[in-house]
Amino acid sequence: MIKFKDVNKWFGSLHVLQNINVHVKPGEVVVICGPSGSGKSTLIRCINRLEKFQDGELHVDGMPLHNYSINLTKLRAEIGFVFQQFHLYPHMTALENVTLAPIHVRKIKKKEAKEIGMEKLVRVGLGDKASSYPDQLSGGQQQRVAIARGLAMSPKILLFDEPTSALDPEMIGEVLDVMIKLVDEGMTMCVVTHEMGFARQVAHRVIFMDEGEIIETEKPDQFFDNPQTERAALFISKILTH
Amino acid sequence: MIAYYFQRLIEIFPFFLKGLWMTVIVSCLGLIFGTIFGFIMGVLRSQKIRLFNWPIGIFVSVIRGTPFVVQIFIVFFIFPEWGIQLNAISAAVLALTILGTAFICEIVAGGIKAVPKGQWEASASSGLSIVKQLRLVIIPQALRTILPPLVGQYVLLIKDSSVVSVIGVVELTRVGWLTVVRIPEGLMVFSLVGILYFVISYPLIRLSNGLEKKLSVGQISL
Repeated sequence: MIKFKDVNKWFGSLHVLQNINVHVKPGEVVVICGPSGSGKSTLIRCINRLEKFQDGELHVDGMPLHNYSINLTKLRAEIGFVFQQFHLYPHMTALENVTLAPIHVRKIKKKEAKEIGMEKLVRVGLGDKASSYPDQLSGGQQQRVAIARGLAMSPKILLFDEPTSALDPEMIGEVLDVMIKLVDEGMTMCVVTHEMGFARQVAHRVIFMDEGEIIETEKPDQFFDNPQTERAALFISKILTH
Repeated sequence: MIAYYFQRLIEIFPFFLKGLWMTVIVSCLGLIFGTIFGFIMGVLRSQKIRLFNWPIGIFVSVIRGTPFVVQIFIVFFIFPEWGIQLNAISAAVLALTILGTAFICEIVAGGIKAVPKGQWEASASSGLSIVKQLRLVIIPQALRTILPPLVGQYVLLIKDSSVVSVIGVVELTRVGWLTVVRIPEGLMVFSLVGILYFVISYPLIRLSNGLEKKLSVGQISL
């Protein structure tokens, strides 16, 4: 589904992704963690080409992203992306946020798109907030609308970039619950997060990154209980004692 | 004597209304075309595409950095030498359009740049094309920033239209000049001219202030 092969990326002279090799299979849930500036967000932003890379090969759903002439609309229609800061469209209601892409990218009729949008909002527990504007919703509710927006295109892959980092502690649970539900439904997901409970509970694999490199790729239990590298062990101890 | 002049001024008041009408026509056409071209150039300028950014930057700097009266002389007296023959009204509209375009371009580009980067990323991630990102997501939000100064710019354009009197367009200021020859009471004549400009500008000033207040607080659906 997603295959990185020797991917390298530089921001100026800074080598932010170094020889990345990752293979994510359909239905797999991969959690990417690591300290700030380790390149984890850059890594998942490459998957829907929010970031370009200079070297290596990346195939997503069979499309070669190292080939710059690919159809970006087609690629992005198959990938949902959930941002740390939600990035809901503030001039649109929750339902309009969710239905925008189905109407204008998938060319679904408005009435049908509204039905799909409502179904997605109900799925994230916000059926009663369809006509609310983002600034009338709490952070947790906004992030759930953002997840519904990502789901509305019926994507094959969902990417999460620190989806709970901007939330108050009491709102993290409601977002993680929605994400766990998606895992149960078999969605392919790449999640950048520091929620180690979530990683342990639902991830099939944990990727630990530092300074642009993948340091470890392990099953969650193995990663948390018996990290193979000192850097991973130090990171886990810091996260768990935080 | 004053009473006599006042009486004469009332008699020729319809002449002032004709001048006012010409001011409105020339200004409206200038601001309509200026808005259209200003938006197009502003959107292009906000995209940081070198091919557009460079020539637009020069155009804006030249127009903003030279007096309007010089620009209108060039349009009316120099353009014919290059084969572009325009009557006074067309030249006035063209010059106001060029002026409006330059200023509105900067307002629009500034408004678009003020929209958070995350809105571009979110709309791009949904698969929307760049045109749809602009039309559906970015410009509706940018309008919050754009509208108050845009309306303010309209007021400036209406006032700048007084300059077109120098090429013989019989608009409000020109009517003032023609009248003061017959009624040598400058204060009275140009007070009337000023009042008439104020009558058309004031509603726009109110609109600009109102938009600023309304758009700066709370959620409104644009």
